Parts: sequence; C-alpha cells; structure tokens
Amino acid sequence: MKALIVDDERLARKELMKLLEEHPSIEVVGEAANADEAITMVNDLNPDLLFLDIQMPGKTGFQLLEELDAVPLVVFTTAYDEFALKAFEVSALDYLLKPIQAERLSETVSKILERERNKVSVARGEGEKKLGLNDQVFVKDGERCWFVSLSNIRLFESDGNYIKVYFDTNRPMIHKSLNALDEKLDERAFFRASRKHIINLSWVEGIEPWFNGGLMVKLRGGDKVEVSRRQAARFKDMMSL
Amino acid sequence: MVDNKKRLYWILQISVWGAYAGIQIVSSILASGQAISFKRTAFFISEAALFFLATHLFRLYLKRRNWLRLRVPKLIPRVLLASGLMGVIVYVLRIPISLITGRATVIETAFSFDQIAGFSAIYMLFFFLWATFYFMYHFIERYNKSLKYEAYMTSIELNNLKSQLNPHFIFNALNSIRALVDENPQKSKQAINQLSNILRNSLTFEKKGLTKFEDELKIVKDYLSLESVRFEERLKTDFNIHPQSANFRVPPLMIQTLVENGVKHGISKLTAGGVIHLKTVVENNRLKIQIRNSGQLVNGARKGKGIGIANTIQRLKLLYGDQASFRMVNENNNFVLTEIVIPQTVVTT
Repeated sequence: MKALIVDDERLARKELMKLLEEHPSIEVVGEAANADEAITMVNDLNPDLLFLDIQMPGKTGFQLLEELDAVPLVVFTTAYDEFALKAFEVSALDYLLKPIQAERLSETVSKILERERNKVSVARGEGEKKLGLNDQVFVKDGERCWFVSLSNIRLFESDGNYIKVYFDTNRPMIHKSLNALDEKLDERAFFRASRKHIINLSWVEGIEPWFNGGLMVKLRGGDKVEVSRRQAARFKDMMSL
Repeated sequence: MVDNKKRLYWILQISVWGAYAGIQIVSSILASGQAISFKRTAFFISEAALFFLATHLFRLYLKRRNWLRLRVPKLIPRVLLASGLMGVIVYVLRIPISLITGRATVIETAFSFDQIAGFSAIYMLFFFLWATFYFMYHFIERYNKSLKYEAYMTSIELNNLKSQLNPHFIFNALNSIRALVDENPQKSKQAINQLSNILRNSLTFEKKGLTKFEDELKIVKDYLSLESVRFEERLKTDFNIHPQSANFRVPPLMIQTLVENGVKHGISKLTAGGVIHLKTVVENNRLKIQIRNSGQLVNGARKGKGIGIANTIQRLKLLYGDQASFRMVNENNNFVLTEIVIPQTVVTT
C-alpha cells in the first residue's frame, strides 16, 4: 500500500517513517509538510493511505480532506486533540496519539490491511481517476464529519452553491457545484438525472413514466427523483440491454 | 461596603439601647399600673444613653487597640475585664443621674457594697453580651471572607494548571524528543532536561510568591529551545535583556505563559514560521517586559479564549494592585506585542 505522511514537523514525520519500517506492507511514497503540498502529492502519487496530522499551519487536516475529491484511507496522528477525537465518534477509521507506540501502530496497520483486502474483491476501474463506488469522500458539516463510501450515497442534490449529500439518515452539505462533481463521478455508477440531481444507479428501485416524457425514479429508502425529458432518453439507453 | 457596615452599626446601636429604654419604661408602667412620671422616664432614657455612650467608646477603644485581631483565648479575659470596668464606671456615673431624677434618696445607700456589686454585675453582663455579639459578627464575617478568598485562589490555581500544563505542548515535545534520540542523542538528552525543568516548575510553582527574573528567563529559554526542536527553522528567537532586569522579581511562569501563547497562536499558525522576541527595559524602577511574536491578533476571536491572558491580568492585579500594567496589541501587520510593566516591590495589603 502506498502511504503519504502529512505533518508540519520534520521530526514527527521522521519518527513515523522509522516506525513504519517495521511494516513492509506499507510503502511511504512521500512526505508533506503542509496541506497544500499534500494536496498536490495526493493528486500526483495517488496514495492509498494518509497519515494525517490535524493541527497544521495554514490549513488543518480537516480542511485538507475537504479539498480532496476522493479521499484515501486516513489515519489521524495527533498529540492531543479532544475535538478531533470527538469529531470522529461518527465514523472513525483510526487515529494515533503522539508519541506513537509501536504496538498501537501495528494494530492500526492490520486494521487497514483488513479493510484493503475486502476492497480488492470489488472490481476497480484501473487507470481511471473517476470516482467509483469503491471510493470514499470526506464530508464535514459543522462539527460533525464522516468518511462516506460512495456506494452508500444514494443522491446528490444541488442547493445553491452547495450540494446536499444523502446517505443513511444524514444530509450534510458540501461546498461544491453539481457540474464539477458530475465530471468526477464514474458515469457507470452515477447518473445526472436533472439539473438538480445526481443519483446512484445501484440504489434505483423503481422507474415510472412521468409528465412530458420524463421519468420518476424511486430510490431504496423512499426518495423520489424526477428525470428530465432530455436525460430520460439517455437513462433508458443506459438501463436497457 | 464600609458605609453599609457603618450604617448597620448605628442602626443596631440605636435600636438596641432604644429598645432597652423602651422596655424599662413599659415594664415600669405595667408594674405600677399607673402613668409614669417625667423624672422616671428621663432616668431610663439617660441610663440607656449611658450604655450607648459606653459601648460606643468601648468600640473606638477596641478598634484602636486592634482587638479584632486577637485570638479568642487572649480576647476573653480582656473583654471580661473591660465589661467589669465599664459596669462599675456606668454605675458610678448613674449615681448623680438617679439623685437628680429622685430615684435614690439617700446617697449612702448608693455607695453600699451590695448596691455597687449587684448593679455593676448586671451592667457587666449587658456589656459582655454586647461585646459577644460584636465579636461574633466580625468573626463570622471574616470567616466568610477567607472562604471566598480561598475559593478564589483555588480557581486561579486550577486555571493555572489548565493553562500551564499544556498537554499539546508536552506530547509534541515528547514526540520530537523520541525522534531526536536517533538523530542527535546529545541534543535529545538536553531536551529531556529542559522538559523536566519546565514540568518541575509547573508543578511546584507557588501562586503567591515571586521568582528571580533570571530563573524565569531560564525557564523561558528552556521552553523556547524545546519548541525549536519541534519547529526547527520555523521558530527563531531573539533576546534583548536589560542588565538591570536581574534586580527584579517576577511572578513565576508569567513570562513563560505569554511566550507560549505567542508560539501557540502565532508561530504554529504560520507555514513559514516566525520570530519570538523577548525584550526587557528598566526605567524609573519599573521593569517593562515586551514579547513580540510573528502573527496577528484576530479581532475579537481571542477575547473569549485567553484563559492564560485573563489569569495574567488577575495575578498582576492581586500582586501589584494598579501598580502593574498589561497590554496586548497588533504592533504592525506582522507582529503582536504583549507587554507587562511591573514595579520593583509588591504592594502589601
């Protein structure tokens, strides 16, 4: 697995590198000293895993994640940060407290490898940089944050300058345009139903004809989304053999 | 506060002795079953006035002699003696009054031992009760005050612990030192000593005392040198210490707290890092300590947060009254200036 270490302190990065030498399954492909460096490196190196410090000058670890399209697996490293730990009650992958203990790191690494093994069983669009069902995104709404697998998101709904993200019972907002998002999503998994909506095709439960040659799509969970006339033809094409 | 207490004293004094005269008059009417003579009324009122005067003079005396500060075992014999003395004096002063108002007809009976002893004893009891009430009131009040003061000091102490044993700093320092063990064992040993120095000082620090400026400066240097291990080239330090600073004593860990503040809110927020500049100036027997750090105060954002700043202001006030000053401003677009000015001596209260 390719990993990227993000921490503003050189010694902290060095210490983690040293600890990771014990784990040959994790290959450290780069080190970033701040969020901006990290964003470039994530896009260039495409790591599977981030070791991320939360408090950094400029942008925090959270802000960094918000700026990424697809987020790799993330392990937070922090010296002492009650807020961060609280924020992850919702969907913690893992975090490491500095100074990091070797045994604790081993646990984390095996957790990550476990997760990665499960993931490989699903086919991946190799070489493509589009976001598929296997990818996860980072969503932050006020104090709460989530790592959400795209396979769990049934609907994106545009709302002014924001997008409402529907998953489980949550609808947090992210600051993005629906057009920009649409370009990044894998069109085999997600479909632009109308100007306002992008739906996850694997969540479609039923389709009914609607006015003006449009369609009404019913999603698992009960949400109903209208497909505009222009998109309806494409939709039929896609869904038919 | 003082005015309220004064007023309370007068109200109590007038109403208690007024009531005494009133009760005497009423009970005399009830006992004889007929209207009271003018002379008798005058006698009772004059008697009450005597008590009033005696207790008031007694209060002036005990205040002047600081009896309120005496411990109970020393106080009790004094109060007994004073009450007895006042009893006799008031009895003697009462004799001409009772003669004028026609209470005592024969002057010899007034000076009989039985009379003197009996009346003096009763009067002595009055005065003793008066004194008991008076001292009780003050003891209770003082006790309340000391409780309040203690609670106040405890809260300051707690706040200090909170702000001084900054876990973020300690764990980050430990993490850097761990990495340093491989890279530069000599430096890591030094860093461990610096960290233990700081920890020891945080733990043994006394809230009321003062420490030598030079000792405080050493802690500040230890602290900054530890942070340099962590921030490396991002943290630059600069000292400009007036030679006479060594003549001063300063509140322990106060400068360190302010410097740490500058690192935490200034340097650590800047990608390129910055400078911490500590400067002292001695003029007119006052020590001016200036801490400059790269960064900017965000308007309003800092006001609610600064538990360290609030503490500093509180401590300065407690130690120096209004003789010390504190300010924290954006000096220009790049630097925040934190400045304290302290006098050479502590104000004693």
